[in-house]
Amino acid sequence: MDSLDDAERTPAGDGIAPATSADLTALMNRVAQGDRRAFATLYAATSGKMFGVLVRILGRGPAAEDALQEVFVKVWERGGDFDGAKGSVIGWMATIARNRALDDIRRAKTSGAVAFSEDFEPVAETEHPLDGRERGEALARLMKCLDGLDDEKREIILLAYYRGVTREALAGRFGRPVPTIKTWLHRGLAQLRECLSS
Amino acid sequence: MKDADEIDAMAAEYALGTLDSSERATVAARRLREPALDAAIIAWERRLAPLAETIAPLPPPPGLFAGIEKRLDGAAKSVGEIIDLRRRLRNWRIAAIGSGALAACLAIGLVVGTLIRPPIGEFVAVLQKDAASPAFLIKVDMNTRLLTVRPVAAPREPGHSYELWLVNARLGGPKSLGLLDERAVSLHRASTIDKSVIEDATYAVSLEPEGGSTTGAPTGPVLFTGKLIPSPI
Repeated sequence: MDSLDDAERTPAGDGIAPATSADLTALMNRVAQGDRRAFATLYAATSGKMFGVLVRILGRGPAAEDALQEVFVKVWERGGDFDGAKGSVIGWMATIARNRALDDIRRAKTSGAVAFSEDFEPVAETEHPLDGRERGEALARLMKCLDGLDDEKREIILLAYYRGVTREALAGRFGRPVPTIKTWLHRGLAQLRECLSS
Repeated sequence: MKDADEIDAMAAEYALGTLDSSERATVAARRLREPALDAAIIAWERRLAPLAETIAPLPPPPGLFAGIEKRLDGAAKSVGEIIDLRRRLRNWRIAAIGSGALAACLAIGLVVGTLIRPPIGEFVAVLQKDAASPAFLIKVDMNTRLLTVRPVAAPREPGHSYELWLVNARLGGPKSLGLLDERAVSLHRASTIDKSVIEDATYAVSLEPEGGSTTGAPTGPVLFTGKLIPSPI
């Protein structure tokens, strides 16, 4: 698990421990060429992270386990699409995982409000993004921009990212009407985009 | 500028995940025919992606990797299926036109969402998620505007129905052409739709609750898509 911890704290380009980040990129390049052994190593190094992403949205259970398998099948099929210049391996894979989880949970619960998955333990979010820990360059920049938002806007964006919940669920959680949540989201995200592009 | 802001807000919420099921499905269908929206979604996914580094890992149960390897081995079978599909398409083409040159065009053209137009008012589309997994084959007779949909390798989804949509900016929203059977050929008539719209459209299959969407728009994920291109001849 040590190497996994290293890997996730070492996004591309931060220069602190380039070996692990470069390892993941090198692994992904081999996966793109159809190397099944590299794929097994990639699974060992990243499946915990991806499962963490999925369980936060889908809860523990067969849904998250099925989704994890689907995600890695997709990573195998689409390895050639990964572009190290545009982000880290973890970020690319997590995008696939989140999209899969969001499609699944919206499909399962087609009615308006989606509840927070009940078995989710808040303790799992102890790695708070704003705890000042040394991070990769891209994350540090994103965090700085998030830090510049009003508290409530930052909180709903982070909660939405981690938990994959709808505006309705956020409205319930924050005790505010849905249109207010929508306004917070749109303003917060527009501000975030502007900050990131400056 | 206002439109651009709205598209960006929609893309941001799609990437963040705050849209409800029908909004999400609508955006998923729209991005197929709106390159600006698609690009905005990808840009937002990249902006948010570094957050993944902050998520604490959870060990998955053992044994899942064996299941993944099994699926990868099974995928080798679908490569055989696509070769078979290519052969069947080619036979159909040769029977219809008798041109070796066109058959060669077909072989080149059989990539994601490619259609071939023989000069007899018939079109063929392969609806697929990626090059290795064709799911439905569509034949369109432009004279009668009749679509024949043949399942190739669509997985069964108990409790759900596959629904076929015709997506074209000139129609406003996606138009349902009806439910697909993953085991049998089905016929769909688009008699009220302009031929040029049928020809330019993107064809999409969404996974809906059993019996199909009740909202008139896709509510589930769009699983397979394909598009007509002008004949290379």
